[in-house]
Amino acid sequence: MSAHAGDIIVQAAGVSRVFRMPAGPVTAVDDVTLQIAAREHMAIRGPSGCGKSTLLHILGCVDTPTSGTLRFGGRDVSRLPDAERSLLRLRSVGFVFQRFFLLPMLTAAENVELPQAEAGVARRERQRRSRELLEFVGLGRRADHRPSQLSGGEMQRVAIARALANRPGLLLADEPTGELDGATGEQIAQLLDRVNADGTALVIVTHDEALAGRARRILSMRDGRIDRETRR
Amino acid sequence: MNALAFAWRSLVRQPARAVLGVLGVAAVGALLLDMLLLSEGLVSSMRDLLDHSGFDLRITATDSRPGAGPRIEAAARAAAEIAALPSVRSAVALRFVDARVERADGTIIEAALQGVSEGPARPLTVLRGREIQQPGDVLVNETLARDAGLAPGSPLVLRAACTSDAEILPRITVTVSGTAEFPFETPGESIVAGSLGTLDEACGQSGAGEADLVLVASQGDAAAAAAAIQAARPDLHTVTNDELIGQFQASGFTYFRQIGAVLTTVTVTFALLLITVLLTVSVNQRLGQIAALRALGLSRRRVVSDVFFESVLIVGIGGALSLPLGILLARWLDGILKRMPGIPVDMHFFVFDPAALAMHALLLAVTALAAALYPMQLVARLPIVTTLRNEVVS
Repeated sequence: MSAHAGDIIVQAAGVSRVFRMPAGPVTAVDDVTLQIAAREHMAIRGPSGCGKSTLLHILGCVDTPTSGTLRFGGRDVSRLPDAERSLLRLRSVGFVFQRFFLLPMLTAAENVELPQAEAGVARRERQRRSRELLEFVGLGRRADHRPSQLSGGEMQRVAIARALANRPGLLLADEPTGELDGATGEQIAQLLDRVNADGTALVIVTHDEALAGRARRILSMRDGRIDRETRR
Repeated sequence: MNALAFAWRSLVRQPARAVLGVLGVAAVGALLLDMLLLSEGLVSSMRDLLDHSGFDLRITATDSRPGAGPRIEAAARAAAEIAALPSVRSAVALRFVDARVERADGTIIEAALQGVSEGPARPLTVLRGREIQQPGDVLVNETLARDAGLAPGSPLVLRAACTSDAEILPRITVTVSGTAEFPFETPGESIVAGSLGTLDEACGQSGAGEADLVLVASQGDAAAAAAAIQAARPDLHTVTNDELIGQFQASGFTYFRQIGAVLTTVTVTFALLLITVLLTVSVNQRLGQIAALRALGLSRRRVVSDVFFESVLIVGIGGALSLPLGILLARWLDGILKRMPGIPVDMHFFVFDPAALAMHALLLAVTALAAALYPMQLVARLPIVTTLRNEVVS
């Protein structure tokens, strides 16, 4: 997705997400309205269980809101069928997870190639793109290494390269430094800053105050609601 | 990377699981192949034996088995009369009795004595020497030739037992014209074959001119020949090879088919459970990865097909290995079963049959699909959000 600063990528209007549990319904996200602009650098923070990750999943079209409307690139995607949401995520959204979730049987380069292959990118082009992305995250010489041969920080770099493989306009990161030590976490934070600086909107869910503090816009959540928004 | 290549990498990544699955399928597939070969093998082998004897019709006096009922009277004339029918190429009358062959040292060899009428074709193949040409000529099988030290031109002394085992008839001396192979010869069995006249002489003219069986070779249409024979000799009972096989299938041989069907079901079920368990364990170990791939936009169809192709690879490789394994096992089991008394040398319990191979492939393909159903369903219904959350919490 190509976008200019100020273009709205995602619009959430009155979005709620209620989980039906045996003990009764639990409202994880409660009437949230927000917009994410192109090139935005946003952090969502709050105590455990406040609904940060659930909101992130809704914004990334992994989950669907129980009520409210979600627009992606102006299109209402609140009730899209699974196949169309998969395609939307493949083309327009990148995900970075706390636990990396790289595929152990593939090399770093092959992990990065995987979403491109699903998107139908030609083999030669996806190989070129994978090398380029691994160079970008500083792992050009580790392209043929498997995840088991990489450190935690290196695995997260590969995961970031994989998330960027199809040139998404929006990168969502759920506790991207949660499994890393301080120094490695700082390197990942710098890398995410570079990704954002290159034009990709970035939304990070984190407990890490330092990581959240790098964002230009910080949402604080409590009990499923955004109770404070800070812009820098 | 397509789903097949991806599945291959998944298998290679977990070699112990992959090898266990492949070997399990190979073992089960080998048993499956053997059960399929066994279920039709004996019938198929019997058909081969009947067809290779060169005769496609059998005529008896009644519907009793040859030797178990009354004999055909004036058999040589009956054979000649039948051979003269336009739809018949040749006919030969046969009578079977027991005999004791006396060796030079006075010891006895129990043998079967066959009397064969004149005709252009006889149910035997001469291996050494020459055909029966004159009264007193006999052919012996290789077992008897070896055990009694006989060669073409050797004299042979025998006593026949034509009505009962206790019967003592005078010994006669005949001349061995050669050795021959008999289609229904059993291992270790001694056989002497001469003309009907020689047999009548050995029997002291008891039942002279009678035969247990007339073998008929049709001009190509056994059913038409059978109809013609029935019209010409309504007093005789005619059965074609196909009808005989049908009778075998409807009676004794059904046990093998039933055993084969039961064991086939058991082996397929075992393969199904084995692969389902392996794939389910594998999928459960990778739920986080699968949920992450789904979050990254890989379609449900794609992740489901990865699991399916894993099953295809396990079953495909195991199935391919099961063929040589199954054939070796079949040969071994055939050797054991053929030690049962009364089984002709050329009869086999396990006979290679393209239809059995096709059924084997079909059953394994169905097994691969069915075994993958549950793990595929797990993947298809995987809740992405809950799985990602659980992975982080765990």
